Amino acid sequence: MNGRHIGIIAKKEFLGLSSEKTILFAVLLQVFIAMFSSFLMVGLTAMYDPEAIESYSATTYGVGYTGADSPLIDEFAKRDDLVLYRMDLQTAIDALSDRQIAAVVHVPDTPPDAEGPITITLYLIQNDLQSSIINVKLKEVLQSYERELREVRADRMVSYPIGLNFPKASGGESFFEFVYGLLIPLLVLLPAIVSAALIIDLITEEYQRQTLETLISTPITYTEMIWGKIATCAVLVPVQAGAWLLLLGLNGIAVGNIAAILLHASVGGLFLILLAAIVALHYRERTSAQFVFSTALVVVFLFVMAVPYNPLNLIVRLAVDTAGPIHWLILALTAGATVLLGWAATAYAQKIGESGQKER
Amino acid sequence: MSRASSIWTIAVWEMNRSMTTMGRHVLPLAAGLLVLLVLVMGFAASSGVHMQDGIYRIGIDDPEVARIVAPDNRFTLYLDDGPALWENRFAYDIIILNGEVYAAETEKGLAALKTLKRDYDGYVSRVAAGEPDLFAGYPLWIDLEYVKSELDFQTVMSGEQASPTADTRVPRATPGSVEAVTPPPSAMLVSEDDLRVHLAEARSDHPMSRYTGILSGSSATDGLLVPSELSPPLPYDALILVFVFIFPLYFTSQFFMMSVMNERVGRAGEALLSTPIRSSAIVIGKALPYFGLMLIIAGAITVFIGAPLTILLPLIPVILFFLANALIIGMASRSFKELSFVSIFFSTLATSYLFFPTIFANTHVISIISPLTLIVLELQGEGFTAMEYVYSTALFFATSIILFYLGTINFREERLFSEKPLTSRLADFISGAINRDHPNLALFILAAFTIPFVFMAQMMTLVLFFNIPMPLSLVLLTVSAAFIEEFAKSIGIYAVARERPTFLTPKNLIFGAVAIGLGFLVGEKLLLFATLAQITESIFGSVLFLSLQVLWMPLLLHITGVLITGGFLLLGGRHAYVPGLIAASVVHSLYNLYFLTGGLL
Repeated sequence: MNGRHIGIIAKKEFLGLSSEKTILFAVLLQVFIAMFSSFLMVGLTAMYDPEAIESYSATTYGVGYTGADSPLIDEFAKRDDLVLYRMDLQTAIDALSDRQIAAVVHVPDTPPDAEGPITITLYLIQNDLQSSIINVKLKEVLQSYERELREVRADRMVSYPIGLNFPKASGGESFFEFVYGLLIPLLVLLPAIVSAALIIDLITEEYQRQTLETLISTPITYTEMIWGKIATCAVLVPVQAGAWLLLLGLNGIAVGNIAAILLHASVGGLFLILLAAIVALHYRERTSAQFVFSTALVVVFLFVMAVPYNPLNLIVRLAVDTAGPIHWLILALTAGATVLLGWAATAYAQKIGESGQKER
Repeated sequence: MSRASSIWTIAVWEMNRSMTTMGRHVLPLAAGLLVLLVLVMGFAASSGVHMQDGIYRIGIDDPEVARIVAPDNRFTLYLDDGPALWENRFAYDIIILNGEVYAAETEKGLAALKTLKRDYDGYVSRVAAGEPDLFAGYPLWIDLEYVKSELDFQTVMSGEQASPTADTRVPRATPGSVEAVTPPPSAMLVSEDDLRVHLAEARSDHPMSRYTGILSGSSATDGLLVPSELSPPLPYDALILVFVFIFPLYFTSQFFMMSVMNERVGRAGEALLSTPIRSSAIVIGKALPYFGLMLIIAGAITVFIGAPLTILLPLIPVILFFLANALIIGMASRSFKELSFVSIFFSTLATSYLFFPTIFANTHVISIISPLTLIVLELQGEGFTAMEYVYSTALFFATSIILFYLGTINFREERLFSEKPLTSRLADFISGAINRDHPNLALFILAAFTIPFVFMAQMMTLVLFFNIPMPLSLVLLTVSAAFIEEFAKSIGIYAVARERPTFLTPKNLIFGAVAIGLGFLVGEKLLLFATLAQITESIFGSVLFLSLQVLWMPLLLHITGVLITGGFLLLGGRHAYVPGLIAASVVHSLYNLYFLTGGLL
């Protein structure tokens, strides 16, 4: 193989990408996502951890209290973000549906030390962001009431949990686990998937447009051509992933070990690209190749996620600086698998190139 | 051959062809991959997801305590004696000494603390669940009831906060609302055994259960709960519907996109075009198998999750919309990579248009602009009225039909096989729709046809800016709405000027501008009165559709806008298009802002 030939092909593909301005759509997409970013951040974090939305609200909420007196009133008194109003049930529900108050609790006259359970009825507004927030707040109140009731009924219990004393948590909820444990690995993975889809387009296009003949008639061999395309796609992976990490850094999210993360991303990306290239070489037709590859991608992704110390997990660990030297071993293993796949792709491409020569 | 029979011929041919190209080679491998997928899913289920393993370091001096934390993979556990732990405390995110928890004063330390607290709560609940006296372990049970309350635009309109905040005065309800409420019984109606079963189930529940619960209709929050089970209802939960319904449909539409593209690659479709079959029959015939397939897929998913089949009704316009866009993208892309990027971009736009309004389902009438909201309503068992169906699907039907029409009239040799860049191809498509003999009539119709797209884009901005505080959201909305309208109006003039530069004389420009202005106004009127009356009544509506109040003023405005853009084109050539567009938008926004402030003051 001739390195210069590979370079020529890679340059051709880069020129093609930039002249079509298709990359512009990728940039547009990122801007578009950024427009929704605050929306997405709140939304995605909330999906990941529903209780995080509580931190978005600094207002005080009114809660209607109906039914019998109970120690629950004292629990509410401890909160400065919830105000309790005593009212009768009908008024309370009317006020709730008029959004005068955020929730209604109905407490039965069961004494705390009764034989049976205390069943509180909680009324909320359906499917509403506000009631999600109030739900989280009320959960805290009710959990603390539950603890109190358990103490009252402690003599009826046979086993006791080990006690742990937690410090008073200062500061609100954080995005930490969502950002480092989910967002960063996915953002790093995304360019790899895009590049893998790109190599299928590049290879199948030569076949379907029958431009292959022209390319092969030059001194460039078939294998060199394939590797030139692979090189183009492979270079895009660390560049895009690096851009994401840089953007995160600008947003105040510090990511550790960037070099090592990009190394993992590049090797993993190359693995996916080679896999896609082999699929494309086999089918030489975009629809089938993309279909088979996207199915295979799901299989590979699920499998990798189920293995401890998988590359995505290592990226998480590296980002929060808890990786340890073991990640070099895994990197070597992934690189080994990638080299094997690269060898297979080369052999396959050579075979196709030779049979093509014989035909002519 | 009659139209119907030629459509049928093409459809059968398309099916055979895609079956033979896909079938022989792909299906065996796809079946193999499916088996692998099932195996891998089994493996993943037993092994668990190892994405966040070891992000926190925790040091513990007591093996008993360590047993609480051990099952959580997020913690890397270090057992050591107390003094050693204390000495190295900065190497850990959390240390536990003699039952006292110390967390590092960093963001990570706090996050670790939160995770530890949840693990501990889970442990305490597990201990409580083992109690022989259930109501000592779980003394408190909660019965969740939901009350429906819909915000109307009036609340938002007057700019007041639509949230139930507490203030000094005691809240009072407006009299005569809602039906009578019966106080809940104080005794528990469920047997103790049932509660134990419920607790056991809740313990083993997968984190994804809240999302599967949405689909099965009966959520896990039905019935009685213990406090730790309270989980906030999330409006974002509707996103699962996008994954379940929209993505498979989008994925299938890709095959149609590819089939259209394949006709163009290497002029493969030449033979087809040379037959006497009309291009409309070819397009419809090619799309028909995919339409059927998508309908079958949607139906299968609906049956699988046990939902009523009526939810297919709002999906039909979505299917048509995807197919229409697939047709245009497949006809316009120059290469496969362009096809990939454009279709990814389009799918993101379409998904957001479908998804974001559903967040406001049950709370706000704006949610009705997305057909997905109808699905949410249907799954909740509330259903939708025929009028609501028209509201939310009219734009999808209209845009799909127009795009299909555009694709059909351009399904010709010189358009399909040209090698021009994307934007000029699209401009060609549009100028292809402009009749040479009656350019003004064509411009009139074209302007009227852009209206559904303008509305869609404006709805998108409405959803986008809805969350921003009041004065800013109005300004942003005004400016973006003006820009979208000016852009839509200029398309026709621009396309003509590109193809026939000589056409653009001052006289023709004035006639063209009048035709476009009239067409725009007529289209706006027609669609508005047909569909969106609800939204137009609000202040947001009056920003978007301000031009409807007095007739001659907006007509003049529309004509002026086109004249400005056209004037720039006339004097400066095609490079002056963008400045012209900006100038027209500025004039348009100023007019709107003037009227808006005048109307409000």
